[in-house]
Formats: sequence, structure tokens, C-alpha cells
Amino acid sequence: MRTKIINYAVAFLVLLVLNFILPRLMPGDPLSAIYGEEVLVQMSPELKANLIGRFALDKPLWEQFTSYISSLAKGDLGYSYYQNAAVSEIILAHLPWTLLLMGLAIIFSSVVGIIMGIESGWKRGKLMDKTCLTGMMTLSGFPSFFLGMMLLLFFAVTLRFLPLQGARTAYGNLTGGWIVLDVLKHLILPLTSLTLAEIPANYLLTRNTMIINAREPFILTAKAKGLPDSKVRYRHAGRNSLLPVVTRIGIKLGIIVTGALFVEIIFSYPGVGNLIYTSLLMRDYPVLQGSLIMVTAFVLLVNLGVDLIYKKLDPRT
Amino acid sequence: MHIRYWEKLEKDPFGKTGLILVIFFAMLAAVVPLVTQNPTTQTSFIFKPPSITHPLGTNDVGQDIWSRLVWGARTSFLVGLGVGVLSTLLATLLGASAALIGGWYEGVVMRTVDVLLVIPTVILVILIAAFITPSIWLLIVVISLFRWQGAARIIRAQTLSLRKSMHISAAKSFGASTSYILFKHIIPDLGPILVVSFIYSCRMAIFLEASLAFIGIGDPSVISWGKMMRHALNFYYLDVWKWWLLPTGVALSAFILSFTLLSYCLEKAMDPRLDESNV
Repeated sequence: MRTKIINYAVAFLVLLVLNFILPRLMPGDPLSAIYGEEVLVQMSPELKANLIGRFALDKPLWEQFTSYISSLAKGDLGYSYYQNAAVSEIILAHLPWTLLLMGLAIIFSSVVGIIMGIESGWKRGKLMDKTCLTGMMTLSGFPSFFLGMMLLLFFAVTLRFLPLQGARTAYGNLTGGWIVLDVLKHLILPLTSLTLAEIPANYLLTRNTMIINAREPFILTAKAKGLPDSKVRYRHAGRNSLLPVVTRIGIKLGIIVTGALFVEIIFSYPGVGNLIYTSLLMRDYPVLQGSLIMVTAFVLLVNLGVDLIYKKLDPRT
Repeated sequence: MHIRYWEKLEKDPFGKTGLILVIFFAMLAAVVPLVTQNPTTQTSFIFKPPSITHPLGTNDVGQDIWSRLVWGARTSFLVGLGVGVLSTLLATLLGASAALIGGWYEGVVMRTVDVLLVIPTVILVILIAAFITPSIWLLIVVISLFRWQGAARIIRAQTLSLRKSMHISAAKSFGASTSYILFKHIIPDLGPILVVSFIYSCRMAIFLEASLAFIGIGDPSVISWGKMMRHALNFYYLDVWKWWLLPTGVALSAFILSFTLLSYCLEKAMDPRLDESNV
């Protein structure tokens, strides 16, 4: 158990060290590599002295690193000279949209994937199973951003049925329930793309586990007791197929996060993914690094949590 | 475990489709770029719909989209193969050597594996690539460096159990040389794992390269499907997406799909419980 926690801590430390060392390895002025070119426009002697002091850039590398870590520990992720705001504030403003999109996508994709997987695995080799399997295989080839583009072009551009981009109508002056409706309308396409991209993995894993579980003696016992088929399928075989899927969702959170990143970019959805993209384009390094650190910390924490819970669910490990 | 790859792939509809698709894309990437127009030549014929001279029309600066598509296949193939080979090689070397040498060396390798397993790879690659703007070769190396850990762990476990297994001791007692045991037993026994890990790495690398190119990370002089799709999306209000974005996206998806199909087929071969023909 302790080694698990240490692994996560070391992984986070590796990311911090990379975050620290990469801008300093860049040729040229480290200030512009750390803050982006924009800082040079606003540069005055006082600001320069202030920035150098802040990152201890005139001190040896080790002292620079300790001052970097200690400011991070205080929750100070730096300052963006493009947006003239603290990085932590910028990220916090974008975070709710990503959590909304990702949370709903995880729920929908696991429910659909697990139910289809249970049904398909139970009826293995039948027409329904073969159709589902082929369909899911094909779907799994599509990258989330291509799915997003297709939905965008079909529903928003060709049919003009749903909004093209953003999370809310700008200057809409909406009130009450209309705000919720507006948010939902903007959410449909990004959510559908991300959910569709996530279903196949959950489906395939559930189906495989179902097939293996269906041969276990306890299924035979349940059938012999005369339980109805649906009960054996869900209460016995299905329930025992849940564990690997739930673990997968936790462990593969990093993949879902990156999927959300690309979907947000397609629909200009104002979440962290879009923030990472715009900061990449603008070379706004403080925001880019801050967002990547936050996302990694989030993913690592959830993974650690899943690891800890898994110990409780499955005492064999 | 010894697998008759050909037989498995030929019998399984998924495996067969995957194999045909991979061969198709290999031909596309290897041969077709030799006979197409120069994909970088800019002309004044912009946004032209498909015609005989331009099978997929032209883009906003008058470049022939079909020739860009087949050159893009080259990029995808190169990255896929490169990462597949390099990461599988790293995994085999580190995993097998950890099992054979043991001691503190094994401890260091396995600790590195544990740490790499929990790091979100894509995020790390975005971070690195944002700063160093890698060439295609450097990208292959960077992806591979973060992509060997899973296979290495399995290979180490397999090598450990193989070392002590009966058929190896039997071969030794008949006086087989080390190289004979290595090539006749250990490598064929590790074979399926190596092949599946190779296919997984290919798939992941093709996907990652396209995604990174899509968000603007990558060598600007290289033609990449991800970059083409990003570029085409800027003109969503015109009809050009039908012969610019759509074929590119379908090509990328079909290419990724072919590797999924192959790996699914081989996984089934490795876990007979999943094989339909054994019901």
C-alpha cells in the first residue's frame, strides 16, 4: 500500500521536475520561456527584477527549484501576462465545464457500455451479439475529435439544429429555467461525441468478463436454483463483471480527460481542454503548465482513490 | 505459448479485415506517393471539387488533397511502425534483462515501470512537445520512452516463469545451447505478447500523432492527417469538408480500426476462453 502511494508521489514529482526543467532548457531568455513572449511587451526594469526574484532566476538551479516548489505548495500556479490574471483563477473558471462534460460522459458511457456488454456477452455468438460487436469495433476506431467534427458538421452546420460552439448563448439575457435549457442545448453535441468515444472500451471489457463469468460454477448453481434468466444475467453474472469495468474507468481517467480535451477544442467548449489549446497557440506557458499540473494531479488522485477502494472491493489483491 | 498467427488471422473475420486494411494502407503509403502530384505545390485552383486531375479536389491554397492524403498515410505509418518497434524493443530488453539479472537492477527497472504506469502519457507528451516542437523522429522517441512499461512488466513475468519451466529444462538436459533455447523456445513463447504489444503501440502512436498534429504540435513541414483535419475544419461553412475533412477522418479511423481488429483477434487467440469456436 505504501509503495502505491510512493509511486503516485514519484509520478507527480517527475511531472513537476519536467515542468520546471523544460522552460529552463530552452535557448534564449528563460523569462520569456517561463512566461511566454507577451511578458516582454510589458517588461520594465522593476517587473524584470520582480520576476527574477520570484523565481530566484539569479540563484543556482537547486534554489530555483525549491522556490518553484514552495510557491506551488502555496497554491500559486503563476501569473498569465496574456490574460492578466492569476493562473489558478483562470483554471478554476474553466474547471466546472470540464467536470460537467466529463462527469456526464463517464456516467452515460458506462451505463450504456455495461448494459450492452452484459446483454451481448450473455447471448454470445447470436446475431445481436455479432451486430453489437461489429458496431462497437468500428466505433472504437473513430478518434473522439473526428466523431465530434462529424456531429458538428451534421447537426450544427447542415441541419442548423443545435448550437455550433460555446457552452452558453452570449448576451442571451436568459433567466431561470431557460439558462439550464441553454446549457443543455450546448452540451448535447460535445457530450454525445465523448460518450460515443468512450462506450466501446466499456462494452468490450464487460462483454469479455461476462463470457468468462458465464462459465463459472456459480452461474450453473443460480440457473439450477430455477432463477429467472434476467436475474442470473444481472444479479449474478453481470454484477461480477462490474469490478473490472469500474476499475478501468478509474485507471483510464487520463484517457477520458484527453478525450474531453479534444472534444472541447472542436466545440470551443470553455473547459480546461480548450484552455490548454488556446494557451498552446498563444504560447501562454504559465497557463499551459498550470493546467497540465492540475489535470495530472486530478488524474493521479482519482487513480490512487480507485486503487484504495479496489483493495476493499477485492480482498484477494 | 505458440500461436499460428496466419491461421488465426485467416479464420477470424475481424482479423482478416484488419490484415487486409493494414496491407491496403501499407501499399497506399509505400507506392502511391511516388505517382501522385507534388503535395506541396500551390496553384490558383482553390477549393475545387473532385475532378479527374484532382480526385479529392483542392484545398484553400490550391494543393491537391488526394496527394496530401497519401503522403499523410506515410507519416502515420512511419510513426506507428517507429513507436511499435522502438517501444517493443525497449520493453523486451528492459523486461527480460530485469528478469535475468535480478538484484538492484531489477528493482530500479520495475520501480520505473510502476511510476510510468500511473503517469498520464498524453499529458506528458503534450507538455514536452509544447516546448521542444519535436521533429517526427524525435516524436517517435518521446512517445516510445513513455510507452514500454506495460509490456515490460508482462515480459518480465513471462521470462521469470519460462526460465523455470519444464520444456526449457528438458531442452537443456538434451544439451541444447543457450541460443537454441533462446530462439526455439523463449522468443516464440514471448512472441504473442510481443506481437500484441507491438500492435497496441502502433495503434496508440498513430492516434497520438494525429491528435497532437490536430492541436498544432508537431513538425510544420510534415503532412499529417491530424493537421489536415484541423485545417479543413476552419472552412466548415463551405462544402469542402465533404472531400477534404471526411476522407481524411475516415482514412485515420480505418487505419486505427485495422490495428484494433488485429489485436482483438490475437487476444482471443491468447485467451481461448474468449474464442467463439470453443463454445
